[in-house]
Amino acid sequence: MMIETNNPLRSTAALAALSTVTDPEIGLNIVDLGLVYRLDFDAATNTVRCDMSLTTQFCPMGSAITEAARNALAGAFPESDIDLRLTFNPPWSAERISPEGREFLNR
Amino acid sequence: MISPAQTTTPPRVVLPFYGYGAGCFLVATLLLLSHSGALPGHYFQPSLLAITHLMALGWGTMMTFGASYQLMPVLTGKLLWSNRLARVSFWLSGLGIPLLVWGFYRFNLGGPTLVGGALVFLGISAWLFNMAGSMSEKPLEQLHAVFVFSAGIWLWLTALVGLTLLLNFRYPVLAADSLHYLSVHAHLGILGWFLLLITGVGARLIPMFLISKYENRRLLWAIYGLVNGGLLLYLAGFLMEISGMVFPAMALVAAAITLFICFCHKAYKARLRRSVDIPVRLSLLSPALMTLPVLMLLASYFRKSPPVEASFFVSYGLLIFFGWITAILLGMTFKTLPFIIWNKVYGALAGRQQTPAPNALIHEGVLRWMRYAYLSGLGVLLSGMILSLSALLYAGAALLFVSAMLYGYLVLRILTHKSQAAP
Repeated sequence: MMIETNNPLRSTAALAALSTVTDPEIGLNIVDLGLVYRLDFDAATNTVRCDMSLTTQFCPMGSAITEAARNALAGAFPESDIDLRLTFNPPWSAERISPEGREFLNR
Repeated sequence: MISPAQTTTPPRVVLPFYGYGAGCFLVATLLLLSHSGALPGHYFQPSLLAITHLMALGWGTMMTFGASYQLMPVLTGKLLWSNRLARVSFWLSGLGIPLLVWGFYRFNLGGPTLVGGALVFLGISAWLFNMAGSMSEKPLEQLHAVFVFSAGIWLWLTALVGLTLLLNFRYPVLAADSLHYLSVHAHLGILGWFLLLITGVGARLIPMFLISKYENRRLLWAIYGLVNGGLLLYLAGFLMEISGMVFPAMALVAAAITLFICFCHKAYKARLRRSVDIPVRLSLLSPALMTLPVLMLLASYFRKSPPVEASFFVSYGLLIFFGWITAILLGMTFKTLPFIIWNKVYGALAGRQQTPAPNALIHEGVLRWMRYAYLSGLGVLLSGMILSLSALLYAGAALLFVSAMLYGYLVLRILTHKSQAAP
């Protein structure tokens, strides 16, 4: 699991918020699932930008997951604009799952 | 970068197919129970024809239509070509199937039955037209979409042949009587429609639900070539009256099934999710059940004398419709329907309020009992066929009826789910 960021301190709060969002089918949160690729904080425009993916492109639950992620970030950063973008470059792969996520799936 | 596009078909388009399918499965098992005494006889009997068409069209095909309207946007990455045409396909098929089945049941193959057959054919044509429209630009998941569309063409041909056979009962339009062409009609549907569809869609969904790292597109293309090649060879043999082409055709189909089982096994081995839930376990049973009808056909091919009994073909049909096809439909219902309803009821609340998980929409205890009833019912029914024991046939059919009732309850419970989101 590799999450790029330009502000490690603020990204901790963002990741804590995103950890409350789970993939409804798998039951694992999207951070441990490795769906979050990048978190950037732009002080000039007061924007939180999150690049994330889905386990499969055009997943039928995709809009529910991305909406939940957007709402979670909006809750954690109420004064900021949220710019959430979906990317499949690179496509998600199982290698992105965190050790905690693997442990969860192994249960 | 792309925005999280809404690429799902509205639930009001998809859900009626699930309800209709559950109803037909229940009626088919009720007919099986009330006519279990007919099972050891010849397969060309009114009650068995009614059950077969109820299972193939009302249960297998209507469920598949609903699932394909949900799945096609996932495979193509864009919305379904026409929601209106999808509803038209529901009403045409939904009205045609009872007329057709009732005609077979009463063995009155006159006007209303022909109208039923024509409505089903039009319903299938509407579905195929919609699939073609949805695939008009290059789909993202090309391989799986090609499987679905090719299966659809075989289904359309199956329906066309079926309608011609029905017509031939009343007005002789073919060179021989309809019974002569029955195996072609049956195998176009079983291999062309169901086998191609289940392998194509199963190869997409099974690894996805197992969270498996295994992928093998070359193997899937090989399966596609083997099924189509086997079916074309079988048809060529029938049309040219060369009986020697049946065995190579069967061998190609058997090879395709073996490769698909290998695919599922490797996907299972490479899964990241250790625990496998009941719906996926039921779905995985389906490829295993595929092998039995093929083994039966191979056995019948080599057993020249004495010829196989008529009940042999009834067992073959039971394994296909109540075994292989039903196992994957029972499993995949609970991997798709709860998510469709969850999206409808809770999609807008995600991340704002606490919502139950989609799996919480399924009554786990009833699902477990449904599985027990289904597996034991299938086993007892087949034992009854092998041992020619009417008590076992009745008990097996009764257990299958119980499983259909439990399935219907579960589907109805999910369809009528009301929001339980915490504020």
